Amino acid sequence: MSETMTLVAPRATRRQAGSSPVARRAGRIALYAALIIAAAALLTPFFWMVMSSLKEANSVFSVPVRWLPEVFVWENYVDIWQRSDILTWIRNTLVLSVTVTALQVLTGSFAAYGFSRVRFPGRNGLFLLYVATIAVPWQSYMIPQFIMLTNAGLANTLWSIIFLQTFSAFGVFLMKQFYETIPEELSEAGRLDGLSEYGIWWRIMVPLSVPAIASLSLLTFVNTWNDYLGPLIYLRDPSLWTLQLGLQNFVTSLYDVDYGVLFAGLVISVLPIAIIFLLGQRFFVEGIATSGMKG
Amino acid sequence: MTSTPSAAPARPRARASRLRRRNTLIGWSFILPNFAGFALLTLVPVVVLFYMSLTDWNIFGTSNFIGLENFQRLFGDGSFRLSLVNTIYYTAMHVPLTIIVSLGLALLLNNRLRGVAFFRTAAFFPYITSIVAIALVWNLLFSPDFGPINEGLRFLGISEPPGWLTSPAWAMPAVVIISTWRDMGYYMVLFLAGLQTVPRELHEAARVDGANALQRFVNVTLPCLRPTMFFVTVMLTINSLKVFDLILVLTEGGPGQSTTVLSQFIYRKGFEENSFGYASAASVVLFALCLVVTIIQYVWNKKRTV
Amino acid sequence: MKRSIMAGAAAAGAALVLAGCSGGAGGASGGDPDTLTISGWSVSSTPEFQLLADGFEAQHEGISVEIVDYDPTEYNTLVTADLAAGSAPDIITQKEVKFVTTFQEGGQLLDVSDVEVPDDIGGAASYEIDGTTYATPYRQDSWVLYYNKALFDEAGVDYPDGSWTWDDYAQAAEELAAGTDAMGTYQHSWQSVVQGFANAQSDADILEGDYAHLAPFYERSLELQDAGAQQTFNTVSANQLTYQGEFGKQNAAMMPMGTWYVATLVSQQASGEADDFEWGIAPIPQLDETTTGTDSTPITFGDPTGFGINAGISEEKQELAKEFLAYAASEEAAVALAEIGITPALLSDAVVDAYFGAEGAPTDELSRFAVQTHETRPENPTSSRTAAIQNILLDLHTAILSGSSGVDDAIAEAEERVANEVE
Repeated sequence: MSETMTLVAPRATRRQAGSSPVARRAGRIALYAALIIAAAALLTPFFWMVMSSLKEANSVFSVPVRWLPEVFVWENYVDIWQRSDILTWIRNTLVLSVTVTALQVLTGSFAAYGFSRVRFPGRNGLFLLYVATIAVPWQSYMIPQFIMLTNAGLANTLWSIIFLQTFSAFGVFLMKQFYETIPEELSEAGRLDGLSEYGIWWRIMVPLSVPAIASLSLLTFVNTWNDYLGPLIYLRDPSLWTLQLGLQNFVTSLYDVDYGVLFAGLVISVLPIAIIFLLGQRFFVEGIATSGMKG
Repeated sequence: MTSTPSAAPARPRARASRLRRRNTLIGWSFILPNFAGFALLTLVPVVVLFYMSLTDWNIFGTSNFIGLENFQRLFGDGSFRLSLVNTIYYTAMHVPLTIIVSLGLALLLNNRLRGVAFFRTAAFFPYITSIVAIALVWNLLFSPDFGPINEGLRFLGISEPPGWLTSPAWAMPAVVIISTWRDMGYYMVLFLAGLQTVPRELHEAARVDGANALQRFVNVTLPCLRPTMFFVTVMLTINSLKVFDLILVLTEGGPGQSTTVLSQFIYRKGFEENSFGYASAASVVLFALCLVVTIIQYVWNKKRTV
Repeated sequence: MKRSIMAGAAAAGAALVLAGCSGGAGGASGGDPDTLTISGWSVSSTPEFQLLADGFEAQHEGISVEIVDYDPTEYNTLVTADLAAGSAPDIITQKEVKFVTTFQEGGQLLDVSDVEVPDDIGGAASYEIDGTTYATPYRQDSWVLYYNKALFDEAGVDYPDGSWTWDDYAQAAEELAAGTDAMGTYQHSWQSVVQGFANAQSDADILEGDYAHLAPFYERSLELQDAGAQQTFNTVSANQLTYQGEFGKQNAAMMPMGTWYVATLVSQQASGEADDFEWGIAPIPQLDETTTGTDSTPITFGDPTGFGINAGISEEKQELAKEFLAYAASEEAAVALAEIGITPALLSDAVVDAYFGAEGAPTDELSRFAVQTHETRPENPTSSRTAAIQNILLDLHTAILSGSSGVDDAIAEAEERVANEVE
């Protein structure tokens, strides 16, 4: 096939160069226009949230809907930075997100290799069990889990959340599916070269699965960053609170929520993730070029 | 299998079983770190859950074994049946819609256009925004008398636009729309990663052979995407059957019971009405439903791969 | 081989968890005999807990009282989880009457029948189950009618004088809507806004499963919506209107609401978050003339907030805990609470004086009457069936007011569901 490729490739590019540049430019503009409209639709709610973060509490919700604040209340942001413990919350959330992400990617991809590349009895049944437990809603078994972790003395520590989130079947499932797209010949080549299974995993599978690792890392990070119920139940000490937890507590009294301040906090909470995504999303689409897999 | 010069063909079974043991050991060594945590933290509580469904546990320790009584009660329970129907209705609408939209997005944004990073981030924004904010904003947008969406519809000449989240007939469709809007960035990321496994040479070869974009998509992209598609479909289906947070903050299951799904039924029975055994039984039914659907998808996927 | 090991491990694990489960009240709150822990919520914005803690410490040398801060919206879930795991505080604040039976049936609450509380303290009956008392009240909000004097003047409508029935109320609402730019009244989306009054004033017990008495109240609400005197339920939910915003920004001339709003409105007017206007409190409109007028006792509803004691604490602490309950119910504590705008369960003259002593609070006689004199019937009967029934009635509430279902159909459906689904 490679010989065919070298013959074919130059002709293909010449054929492409033949299509009309005007038509292509028009197509491009139409594409951009569609994308911009779509992006606007996607970001509208976020825009409303930012605008509302600058309103005072009693003006956030009104009839009719007001998009722009009448009075720009910057104090909401000042309030959060000065009056609340936001730095502690950010620190806790960061520690949890980074640790969980690193551990889940590590153990998940490790286990995924076992499930996809090593044949041993009971493998498929075990894997089905993994996936099956995803099907049980968390609030159903959260109480027995809580009792167990409390008896182990882990409740009210950051470890509880780390343990809860790290061993998710989701990471294993994702990585396994990705490993299945990598041809067996590569592992064979590795074995021939004398690599152990662990070596194959580390030197061949991992570098080739950069997009999967990137997406798993991102999604795990986001889920841990935004997790509310887990920290709510396990992290009672205010010094352990995460961003979502601290924010809700800060703005809520029994009958009342100060939505202006809440939204300010939520805007602050979204920004780090947006930045990480923006900078890191090229890793989803850049992997080792498949042409390197020949020979 | 590598062909090592075998000495005595007299003991192939012994070698085979040694190989199997070696593989078992290696396999388990890979799985163990993850599995240990999984077994302890998830498997054990889930087993407890299953046991609880056969009791009348009220969380504070007193539990009597009552066998299948909870299940009998479930199937006579009108609210349970209703929430089951709602859940299936939601899933049936949400899964195909989300797959189409997120795959479309991934295909569209799998290129090197200038600013594509911005568009991908925009698509992902709904997923990272807090659920509370999403519920608040969409409730406003869908407000039947004063919301922008209905204002727009009236402008287009529709005199009686739907009541959306306040109408029992339109609440679930509205929920599906919002849910898809939220999830599409998430699944787009997964599809983007999956699209990287489609070798470009295959595309080039197909193009040279005269295949147009659609044919290339069907004959090159889709088959290579199969493992990812399986993953996405299974996760999406299970997550849809389990949906809870979003609907709770959007409509709290209302108006009436029109958007009450199984997870909310379970939550109400367990945490608000203190019938944990009963709620556990409902969880088992949800689990069984997910399992059946997943097995069907698994079998279908296997057939296609062969 | 592996499978049997796995099965064994699972069984062992399950046994461990079950052992932990059935060990319920593990008495983990033994701790320091000189420290009492109380479960509270939003401590930074809910000063009542700290106030009571400080007052008790002042009376008892060497004792310290700590408040454990819980999330207010998930309070019951969290306290339940802690009790199940044996790590709950010594004193369990009973935030909602709906959950008292849950704790009591699970053996989590100590018998506090021997704690002395003042005779006329409101809400004590809610904590009595089968003749035994499991908690004592310290606070009881009741529902009253707030009205905006400025808007009444603008429309030329007479202020409420304590003699109103619901028909008078509806008529005034329509006149106010016609005579001003604002709505006549604001009825928030909670189910209690309609059902609380219906149940209390019709002398109905929701546990019995007959809900015909709700019909006239819902029909009245629907009429007000249709007449444009009240914001539609759909708009209230979709636009997430806040009752503080609607009354405080003068979008409505009247509002039935609980007495807790007095403190909020006073402080919001002081800080500028609410408009500056004159307002007053009137007794809630009554079902008929038998209970109207300042010579009678108007009927309204409300649930108490109280303290219960964790059954798992040590014996020596139990005495101390009981003393705390007695203190919280005493007149001294009530006066202190009233000074910060909380409506205590005990409403003696001294307490009411303190309550209206805050700057910005209304000073007229009718307001005082409304807060002090009323027969407050429980919103939630104390029973294990209450939570399930209230959920069914909530579905009825949203179905009727959103226009999805007719009044009679919804009531019939609710009655059927209660008969079928609630044990």
